[in-house]
Amino acid sequence: MALLDLKHVSKGYPHNKGVLPVLEDVSFSVEQGEFIAIVGPSGCGKSTLVRIINGIVPATSGQVLYNGRQVDGINLECALVFQSFALLPWMTVKANVEMGLEARGIELAERERIASVYIDKVGLDGFEEAYPRELSGGMKQRVGFARALAVEPKVLLMDEPFSALDALTAITLREELLDIWHSPDMSVHTLVMVTHIIEEAVELADRIIVMSSHPGRIAADIRVEIPRPRDRRTDEFNNLVDKVFSLIEERT
Amino acid sequence: MPEQINPIPDCQLTWVFGLLETLEDRGGRDDGYRIARDLQFNFSDLLRVMKAAELFGFVSTPSGDVVLEPLGKKFLEFDVNQRKLLLREQLKKLSLFAYFIRLLRGQPDHSLPKEIVLEHLAMLLPNESPQKQFNTMVNWGRYAELFGYNKDEDRFYLDQE
Repeated sequence: MALLDLKHVSKGYPHNKGVLPVLEDVSFSVEQGEFIAIVGPSGCGKSTLVRIINGIVPATSGQVLYNGRQVDGINLECALVFQSFALLPWMTVKANVEMGLEARGIELAERERIASVYIDKVGLDGFEEAYPRELSGGMKQRVGFARALAVEPKVLLMDEPFSALDALTAITLREELLDIWHSPDMSVHTLVMVTHIIEEAVELADRIIVMSSHPGRIAADIRVEIPRPRDRRTDEFNNLVDKVFSLIEERT
Repeated sequence: MPEQINPIPDCQLTWVFGLLETLEDRGGRDDGYRIARDLQFNFSDLLRVMKAAELFGFVSTPSGDVVLEPLGKKFLEFDVNQRKLLLREQLKKLSLFAYFIRLLRGQPDHSLPKEIVLEHLAMLLPNESPQKQFNTMVNWGRYAELFGYNKDEDRFYLDQE
């Protein structure tokens, strides 16, 4: 059984007495341990889709099954990492990481213990008492990852996690994400990442779901067979980038 | 003759790590200008990254090229906590870090208010922005768990040794 199963998911927003369709009949499944990238042009509904999987945005029709069961409301087995980091500026790194744990009713001593484990994992030791404005973008997104990982999710959802970062920072954080994914003592083995950067999807993912826009539909579902670590300078890599690019172009 | 204190380049450590990854992907050596162009990274920023990586002993920079040195390669193979340890040893060798380690050790609680640190920086490095030197020193020092800074208590301190 697939870990996540999306069945005919559609989403529309009320607009001018009618409905503005954002997603239409999206179906795919995610196996335990897979790294899925969802790519598509802006406006294809990919950010809405990842929020529907998380449960913070309800679908208009269709179902999202987790382990074969429909989840009502927010799926507590999923955690979301945002492009904008979404940190609270008046709280320290440590407090930001603990935030999700507090929301789940975990008591203080346990919150502190868990937070320190994940602060350590993402390399934020030494930054516990720093405030977000003292941090570079890369350090801020490490806080975003630590906060998401601290709730020990089974699925890590990411919405353009590296898009707000400069190239050198993004290179470093992508490597660190792969290390986290391959780390045997992590609870999370299944990753779903939304990105508009095709090279990023080809470098990281096992499977790429290509979306077209207006409304968002699945244009292709491609397995990436290139062995890891993947070298961006090979023909194999660039051919796949071109293929995904042309699939997006055709449908848009 | 007082010892010579050298400034540190205003540069994020994550950039240094990204440069090392990039060099490894490119067979260990490339032209700095080409790296900046390929990554659409500001060239003057990249020069500071190269300078920092060189200070740590991770790269050398012969005639505009950047070459990954054995220590930089070792750094890439390390996990995050080994990286912090290695960086801590490298930072201790920098004159600016050595100066403040010594200064903080001489304080009763191994700490100083930020204002005092800025005054030392202004005196030691009159051509540099004390605030920028402080921010970079705090960021590097925090990563290496060598220095800490608590904004609420306005305390710059030795983290551990």
